Amino acid sequence: MDITNLPIRKINTLFSKKELKPSELYSQIFDNAANSEASLHAHLTLFEDENIKKAKESDSRFDSGTAESLLDGIPIAIKDNINIKGYKTTCSSKMLSNYTSPYDATVIKKLKESQTLFTGKTNLDEFAMGSSTENSAFGLTRNPWNTDFVPGGSSGGSAASVGARSSIAALGSDTGGSIRQPASFCGLVGFKPTYGTVSRYGLIAFASSLDQIGPITKTVDDSRIIFSAISGDDPRDATSIVNNQVDIPSGKSAKIGVIKELMEDGISDEAKNEVNKVTEILKSNGYEVKEISIPIIELAISIYYLIAPAECSANLARFDGVRYGLRVDGNTSYEMMENTRAEGFGKEVKRRILLGTYALSAGYYDEYYGKALQARKEMIDEFTKAFDEVDYLISPTTPTQAFKAGEKTSNPLEMYMSDLCTIPANLAGLPAISIPTGITNENLPLGVQVMSRALSDHSLLNFSEIIEKEIQFNQQPKGWV
Amino acid sequence: MSLQPTIGIETHIELNTNTKMFCRCGVVDTEDPNVSLCPTCLGLPGALPVPNKKAIESITLLALSTGCEITRKGMFHRKNYFYPDLPKNYQISQFDLPVGLNGELEIVIEESTDNIQIERVHMEEDTGKSTHSGSGRIESATSTALDFNRSGVPLVEIVTKPVITSSKQAVAYIEELRQLAIDLNISEGRLEKGNLRFDANISVAPEGSSELGTKVEIKNMNSLRSLERAIDYEIERQTKAVEDGVEIIQETRHWDENKELTSTMRSKEGSADYRYFSDPDLPNMYLSEDFINQVKSTMPQLPKKQREELVDTGLSLKQANILSKSDVWIKSLYFKVHKQTKDSEASFNWITGELQGQMRKSNIEKLPDWFSYEYLSEIIELIKNSKISFTSAKVILSELLNTDSTPNEVAEQKNLFQENDTDKISEMIVQILEENQDVVERIKTGEDKLVGFLVGLVMKQSNGSVNPGMAKELLLKKIED
Ligand SMILES: [Zn+2]
Repeated sequence: MDITNLPIRKINTLFSKKELKPSELYSQIFDNAANSEASLHAHLTLFEDENIKKAKESDSRFDSGTAESLLDGIPIAIKDNINIKGYKTTCSSKMLSNYTSPYDATVIKKLKESQTLFTGKTNLDEFAMGSSTENSAFGLTRNPWNTDFVPGGSSGGSAASVGARSSIAALGSDTGGSIRQPASFCGLVGFKPTYGTVSRYGLIAFASSLDQIGPITKTVDDSRIIFSAISGDDPRDATSIVNNQVDIPSGKSAKIGVIKELMEDGISDEAKNEVNKVTEILKSNGYEVKEISIPIIELAISIYYLIAPAECSANLARFDGVRYGLRVDGNTSYEMMENTRAEGFGKEVKRRILLGTYALSAGYYDEYYGKALQARKEMIDEFTKAFDEVDYLISPTTPTQAFKAGEKTSNPLEMYMSDLCTIPANLAGLPAISIPTGITNENLPLGVQVMSRALSDHSLLNFSEIIEKEIQFNQQPKGWV
Repeated sequence: MSLQPTIGIETHIELNTNTKMFCRCGVVDTEDPNVSLCPTCLGLPGALPVPNKKAIESITLLALSTGCEITRKGMFHRKNYFYPDLPKNYQISQFDLPVGLNGELEIVIEESTDNIQIERVHMEEDTGKSTHSGSGRIESATSTALDFNRSGVPLVEIVTKPVITSSKQAVAYIEELRQLAIDLNISEGRLEKGNLRFDANISVAPEGSSELGTKVEIKNMNSLRSLERAIDYEIERQTKAVEDGVEIIQETRHWDENKELTSTMRSKEGSADYRYFSDPDLPNMYLSEDFINQVKSTMPQLPKKQREELVDTGLSLKQANILSKSDVWIKSLYFKVHKQTKDSEASFNWITGELQGQMRKSNIEKLPDWFSYEYLSEIIELIKNSKISFTSAKVILSELLNTDSTPNEVAEQKNLFQENDTDKISEMIVQILEENQDVVERIKTGEDKLVGFLVGLVMKQSNGSVNPGMAKELLLKKIED
């Protein structure tokens, strides 16, 4: 039995029955990481020493029957834009290559309370800006299914880590698809919760109104367990909300909509086929499935690439060499700040800062940022209308399967298009999940995305679990365990 | 051509909350740098702002007390500019939806009042403090030391409409605003500590002209003296420029306290585009009816109303204004003494003149416990009934500030009661006239001044217990006889 392939609930049962020790699981996980790291580069840091000690503590809790949490002793990888006290948090940027966080993010505090083990920090596109994990100042991450291909991004390190079984699950962050797209490319479940249900305190911001932390896991239930552990209103995050879940049907009375605009040109046949496969199964199980049009989705990328860069241009202004991180000297304070930013940020980050600065500039605000805000409101309205008709919206997660490393690096616009299907959920603040459903001709996984109304996360997970059971994906990349 | 100056003033008031605006760090008053810091007010990556409710109450109170319309759905904006002591390189402020709009404040100059129109009242956070070495300016400093204790301290900014026409009005406006903030208990109001800092926008235009002249901003003054002199200097400079046909440049100038002149800081061409946009970390701020009513219920008596009450007691507006800008205990002392004596003039003079003067001279900060307001009433009554002289009254007051005694006891002990028995005084006078025949002769030949000499002898012989007026009257009568 490959213990690293088991779902969390099953592992916990084995721990409780004393058929498996947390330290044994951790040792296997660490071996997997050691085995795959050179080929995949999923992690920027691996925490070994302290974890051996922590795993032993977990052992004794299960020995004495005092372990209370489902996550006790479960090794989880953390995207390196989430602060863990006393560890480096680099955002895969030269700017923060030597930055050690003096505090824990709220999600980390919660996971520590759940006695989770942190396997290490995972690679990402610099400051979470990208869709391939190629924009990392510390080198790219590769797809565990085929190392010629990208794992997706920006949470590509987290997805590759879970894919190669170097961790049982991982935390990612999702601003325009950064959890769901790599989950789809790596054959995993990726869940972006309703905006505000998981505290952003301690997540290094890319675009504050869009960022949301969520899990990348092998199963829907694993995502559910982690979501339950990390969600909740946080007095340190003014945008966090009380997680008052609304119940919507997940059984056969649930109504399903297929988003028309995400089944048209620009979407590969393979991706469409996965959606059709799922809807056929649902129909045969008695679900009502219909086509739903959300015309404004056509504008999603345009809206996103005004709002996200605008917010990021201010969020990343604090990296100036004055108080922490990289400092490149200059003759005056201003020259020092300029030199630091010129050297510390990578190309894509600079591109987005410039884009955002321009969009907010006097004389352009109304034309660009102001219009984007207006369109975002309209998008929220169109989704609200759609959810008057159906309970769940289905679409591909990504327009295509994973692409080859280097294939899109010279064409940012093409790269941006790979987030076409995922961006709307961020703009509208909705919960959205990618579920692995199939394997393409090139033996790469592909997923399907399901969205539902705000604060129906648990219903969405329940419904996704039904799809998961019907599809029986059950595949994993070979050669890493 | 006669030129008319127009002035608008922006004032920053530092609130007296226990904690900072967006974090829980204490607001400290210390020279030790960087002792009250946390990830949020230091702008560490991933830290988030959470508004301070007390600060919102304070600004709402100020807005209500100046008759502003309250913006029910307010918003925080990011004001973007780079400066080493601004940790995030943006300041959280308010832009188009400030807490208060369109208010007014009554000011007093001598015996008349004016209403100063207020454009807006908004909330923002303070920056840290920079100390530039080698030069006072960042552009040429060899090094800059930073203290972030002040970073994130709540500030209220109050902006007047361009309605002020003289430095006198400007000073009266700041005095009134300061007193209002103190009475509302929202700020310590200490100018020497920089609790109030002001910028003045000044322009001159031909009298009767409907258009304002080119405005020049003088930044960052914190004393009334600077404000008055800087405005006078700038009006003179601009008037001369217009008369000489020299163009006035729209710019920001700095008031040099030592040289007593203003000099260019930056011109409009180099001025920043702050790229304001709504802060995505802070949800809209809804000020509910209940909240506003609750804040209203804490409103103390305002200075304007206080002045009205004081004028009703018989004081002039100028006197009422002086009292309304005095410490609370002085105001209440006045009302108590006035209630007993019904003499507004004497009550005002004794309290604001002799009592405060003696306390200042002897470095007494508060009245001794034994000192009852009734003592002042007694002293005023004793003078009025000619029981003691004004000089004796001063002696008595001084004694009462140092010993637990009553005015009557002191007068008794020191033998300060005036002799009002004419027979006894006449006896004494006859004796003195006999002993000073030569003086009497000289008085008879017209040397009137010498009467004073004789009065002095009477006072001396009676140990000051004779009413000098009465002594003089009797002396003259006897000499004539
Ligand atoms: Zn703080």
